[in-house]
Amino acid sequence: MTQTPIISIRNVTKRFGSFTALEDISIDIRPGEIFALLGPSGCGKSTLLRIIAGFETPTEGDILIDGKDMTEVPPNKRPVNMVFQSYAVFPHMSVADNVAYGLKMDKLPAAEIKTKVAEALKQVHLSEFSHRMPDQLSGGQRQRVALARALVKRPRVLLLDEPLSALDAKLRDAMRLELVKLQQTVGVSFIMVTHDQSEALAMADRIAVLDQGRLRQLADPVTLYRKPADAFVADFIGRVNLFEVTAHEPGSTTATVASLGEIALAAAAAYPEGEALVLAVRPEHIRLTAGEGPGVPATLGDVAFQGDSSIVEVTLADGRSVQVLEDAAESARLMQLDPGAIVTLEIDWTKAAILRRSAL
Amino acid sequence: MEDFRRNLRVFLAFFTPSFGWLALFFLAPLVIIFLYSVGETVSLTEVKTTWTFANYARLTEPEIVTLFIRSLWLAGISTVICLLVGYPVALVIATAPPKWKPWLLLIVILPFWTNLLIRTYALLNILGTRGRVNDLFEWIWVQADGALRFVGLGEYQLLGEEYEPIVFLGRWSGVIIGLVYVHLPFTVLPIYAALERLERSYLEASLDLGAGQWRTFRSILLPMTMVGVITAAIITFIPMLGSYLTPALLGRGQVDMIANVIERQFKGANDWPFGAAMSLFLLYVTFIILALQAIAAMRRSRLRGREHG
Ligand SMILES: Nc1ncnc2c1ncn2[C@@H]1O[C@H](COP(=O)(O)OP(=O)(O)OP(=O)(O)O)[C@@H](O)[C@H]1O
Ligand SMILES: [Mg+2]
Repeated sequence: MTQTPIISIRNVTKRFGSFTALEDISIDIRPGEIFALLGPSGCGKSTLLRIIAGFETPTEGDILIDGKDMTEVPPNKRPVNMVFQSYAVFPHMSVADNVAYGLKMDKLPAAEIKTKVAEALKQVHLSEFSHRMPDQLSGGQRQRVALARALVKRPRVLLLDEPLSALDAKLRDAMRLELVKLQQTVGVSFIMVTHDQSEALAMADRIAVLDQGRLRQLADPVTLYRKPADAFVADFIGRVNLFEVTAHEPGSTTATVASLGEIALAAAAAYPEGEALVLAVRPEHIRLTAGEGPGVPATLGDVAFQGDSSIVEVTLADGRSVQVLEDAAESARLMQLDPGAIVTLEIDWTKAAILRRSAL
Repeated sequence: MEDFRRNLRVFLAFFTPSFGWLALFFLAPLVIIFLYSVGETVSLTEVKTTWTFANYARLTEPEIVTLFIRSLWLAGISTVICLLVGYPVALVIATAPPKWKPWLLLIVILPFWTNLLIRTYALLNILGTRGRVNDLFEWIWVQADGALRFVGLGEYQLLGEEYEPIVFLGRWSGVIIGLVYVHLPFTVLPIYAALERLERSYLEASLDLGAGQWRTFRSILLPMTMVGVITAAIITFIPMLGSYLTPALLGRGQVDMIANVIERQFKGANDWPFGAAMSLFLLYVTFIILALQAIAAMRRSRLRGREHG
């Protein structure tokens, strides 16, 4: 794609004293996309979002919105709006007044404010609640007030800091779909922060994986899952079994791997010698059969039932535990077996990949 | 049953001393004062309870009404000044770097730990016609006069022949300065507590939605800390209204407040019943203020309840 980016994050570094919260981050946000910042707690996601919104100034680097440098632009003059993690819905104002607040700042005529507020509340299904005070709303309703309040300003980009984290699991799933639908109708770019990989995979067009202030990988969900840049990303996105590679010639399709011995891969990995490498195998790329057979011998452990599938834990001869995904029919059969029963693993080597332990 | 009785005994063992203390040293004097207020002086040291209402009736005498109005007015103005000064001070402390906060709070509280009498005498020294404030103003006057002389305007004496000291003592201004100085910590602390409780994201949300600093202060910060401001106003105003030492020393008998006149009833005038009636009236006023606040708070919450339904 060669669209001009709506936001350019250019070589942004942020330090708090001697602590580096973000290091040399460069990301371009495209118009109309849902972009997710994903990473474990404390990796600097919120800090990056707050830099875009203007609440923090980068120590180095700069932010461009629509090609304009934002360094000297205060938060109230930036064409972006934020949905806060705690929602920050003003408790002393009614729902309608909350949504109208930002429009009043734009000095719009009262009649126009009224129609825009009504329209925004309709979009988030809160029309009947316009006169309520925030303390008479549920968490999900408050979240939608925060959403309407930010969206009604028609920002170039909407920033969302863990927008769903305060909701219960069921509501969260429903809101995921609603958010995506809403984004499609209004056509505004979203940048959303999350530490929940399934949320990012389900909603985002592209995902940036951050760890300890550094960008690990930036890709679409499918690429991220299929071709993780390193073991950290593979582990963070979905489940994965990691085995240390003890010997591997660059360019060769065979490798010696801890617990598994010598293996043959479909594709060669060309990492230079001396780098710490791991073999990554997703649980769905392993098949379990009862009894002995050709493959890797193991003993059966716990079966974690998930409805349509199960995560089966097995133990290899050297004591390492491995996760295997089995469908409902297969896991029902496995649950008949005693824990500790002998099983055999068949690994689909065409899907296994050799990765760097860390891409940094 | 057994259990309850044992608990009751424990309860009594714990609370009898404190209830006894309260009854002996708080309730009993209050009752005595009440009996005085409905009594008549029969001799130099004896008051007879005659259930008369005359002492309360005398509260409507023009002199006394003026005194009450003056006291309310002085305490009211001083409270407003305390709020105007105290809010920014509290804001500075609440937004200071965390390691400074305890020290800034200490500076606010420190005067509390110094004897009121000593502090008031220090104020006398500062506010007197030959005090530090006038020293400073005189110095400024001299410099300004010198400057005028330097540019050749000396002979016109634009600033007067010599420096006229500003009189604070025995005037309203002196009493107000004293009241504000003594009670400022009462104002700062509740406002500071309210500001500390306020989440920063509300202010950021306001900025994010396009409001400037001043608008954010007016529409978000002030309304959301209003409970703290009202608390501060009440706990500043009530002790101010009953102030004795500050008006006595800084007012020099020319700016009396209620407490000064009450004292005179018990001493010089030897009219204990009237003094008692005035004291209790002060107490009633305090209760009325607190009751009004409670009603306002209740109505606020009831209003919300109705909207909900
Ligand atoms: N004002 C600050 N002063 C000092 N350190 C800070 C400040 N703000 C954030 N940090 C630090 O920077 C790091 C990143 O913080 P940030 O809030 O961006 O994390 P996050 O990725 O959003 O985490 P979470 O998922 O827990 O919200 C953290 O280690 C945090 O302690
Ligand atoms: Mg965060």
